Amino acid sequence: MAIGKRKKITLAELDRIRRRGGGLMRYYDLVRVSVREVVRKRRRYIGVMASIALGMAGFIVIITMGNDLKKNFNNDLDLLGGATIINAMFEQPPLERQEWFRERTLQAIGRIPGVLDTTVVALKANTVTTWHDRLFGFNLVGCEANYWKVFSFNAAAGRLFDEKDLEEGARVCVVGTDLARQIFGSDQKALGQILSLDDNLYTVIGVLGGLRAGDRGAFVFLPLSTARARVVGISMPYSAYVRCATWDDVAPVAGAISGVIRANQPDRGLRVNVAWEPLKQVQRIFWWVELFIYSSIVATMILGGFGIWNIMMATVTSRTREIGLKKAMGALDTDILYQFLFEALCVTLSSSVIGVILGRIGIEYMGRMLGANPPEGLFIFCLLLGLAFAAVLGVGAGLYPSIRASRMQVVDAMRYE
Amino acid sequence: MPCAMSNPAELSDDNELVIDINKLTKTYQTGAGDISVLRDVNLHVHRGEMVAVMGPSGSGKSTLLFILGLFQPASTGEYRVSGVDVLSLTRDRQAIFRREMLGFVFQTCDLLENSTVYENLELPLIYAGVRRKERPDRIREALRMVNLDHRVYQPSNRLSGGERQRVSIARALVNDPEFILADEPTGQLDRENSLRVLEYFTKITEEARMAMVVVTHDNMTAEYCTRKCVLTDGCLNG
Repeated sequence: MAIGKRKKITLAELDRIRRRGGGLMRYYDLVRVSVREVVRKRRRYIGVMASIALGMAGFIVIITMGNDLKKNFNNDLDLLGGATIINAMFEQPPLERQEWFRERTLQAIGRIPGVLDTTVVALKANTVTTWHDRLFGFNLVGCEANYWKVFSFNAAAGRLFDEKDLEEGARVCVVGTDLARQIFGSDQKALGQILSLDDNLYTVIGVLGGLRAGDRGAFVFLPLSTARARVVGISMPYSAYVRCATWDDVAPVAGAISGVIRANQPDRGLRVNVAWEPLKQVQRIFWWVELFIYSSIVATMILGGFGIWNIMMATVTSRTREIGLKKAMGALDTDILYQFLFEALCVTLSSSVIGVILGRIGIEYMGRMLGANPPEGLFIFCLLLGLAFAAVLGVGAGLYPSIRASRMQVVDAMRYE
Repeated sequence: MPCAMSNPAELSDDNELVIDINKLTKTYQTGAGDISVLRDVNLHVHRGEMVAVMGPSGSGKSTLLFILGLFQPASTGEYRVSGVDVLSLTRDRQAIFRREMLGFVFQTCDLLENSTVYENLELPLIYAGVRRKERPDRIREALRMVNLDHRVYQPSNRLSGGERQRVSIARALVNDPEFILADEPTGQLDRENSLRVLEYFTKITEEARMAMVVVTHDNMTAEYCTRKCVLTDGCLNG
């Protein structure tokens, strides 16, 4: 090129230049200039970037880990009455044919979406035993190893029987804590003692513990296989307990159970019991918690948005002379508009990227803490949603200041002190 | 009463008329009545000419320069550049006209802070849609005109006052304008740097055959110009 080359300027030429625009390269350059501006003046944006990044991280963690958090809450909130446990049972009218749960029915129930675990029990009420010439009454329950998991029971002393005991038909039993104290004096003293039931001797291997163990303080538990083989007069497994993954699953699972049972066996005398009141309480509590969390996130993001708006307004004011200078150099109104808009977008998007990284770290940490493995797809969905929201936030908050900058009169901007 | 016409003293062969202003007025409306800043100003600047516009503070020098730069509209009158009536252009056309035809040099240099010399000169080229691979050559050539091609990647805030003004001149030149407007270009420079800047101006008008309008208070600056006009009470004489 040569400086001093003659140009012929006409109206047609001006219009041709305007139409030509500069294409993608021009936008690329404007983005580059905007990014450079943000990077060089990053200290100005740190506060607002931190706000958006934290809001974004919270959003990603809550959405991605939400289901696992609910599951965890589900376990921890069992004290509210096992809100997620559904009881399905066949009534046992005397002198009529009595139904009980078949294996294939239980397997089908286990396949209903939202079902975490199922278990069945067989009962014999008003059973008695003697210990040192004293008579003790209790309810006898034959159950599977899953029973403990469904009700979140653990061993207050010793251990609870497991699958191996069930397979072997072991003559072992677990006793309720009240009964253990009545018969043996304490939980520890009960361990290893021999209990006589219907002329069969069973070794006490554990005492029932857990938040809801008090309801079953006067129960004795035998492995279902042992009870069915050895206890005279014990019922068929006519009662099943279904534990749902979260309280949101309870209503759909409760609605589906009857149909699944009917499809697999006769459903004479079937009753499905749900603890609706505790469930509603749990849902209400969590609804408030969710409302609080989401409100906090939204408030953080809105604050970030206002922060961007505020900073961009201040930036436009403090850079008035620069805007005038750029217009004097031939920048179109749209060039100035895009530059400030890109700057706002750059701040929100880079904050979001930081938020995504923080969110990912949070997910990994919480995943390890809860022993959960949230789906990658959900994380990616949240990531895209977060970036889209950040883009909307950037455009929304940066638009007015950018329009203001672009419409500035050159003479006013150049005379601005 | 109309002012006297400001015409070139002598014209060369390559004396195409670049700036053609006829009966230009600028009036501000205030609560206390209309204030006439420019009154029937006529100014004709040819290629290769460097015209000094002098005058006391408040005489309308800056207003004239801002109208010449299309920063603000005139109230009445005609302003043509190479035959084009530029006052009637739309906002976008005026912006394109500024970047294609005009170069500005300001008293305060007005370089972009936190940017290198290269980045300062690149911006007008970005607005003009110049290809990236062409930019380094054009930037170097403009810097060579002011003997600063060794400072291409220097941050602008590490330059001396004289160097900043020379970068400002190079920036005005980089898009190869038809004419340059300079507002007190030596106002913040010492004598030595002022002389250097004025020598570059002379070189630009002579070698590149550009037209130049320099608004100044300074007699030494005016002496370097090919023609001197004085603006008094909104009237241009000389």
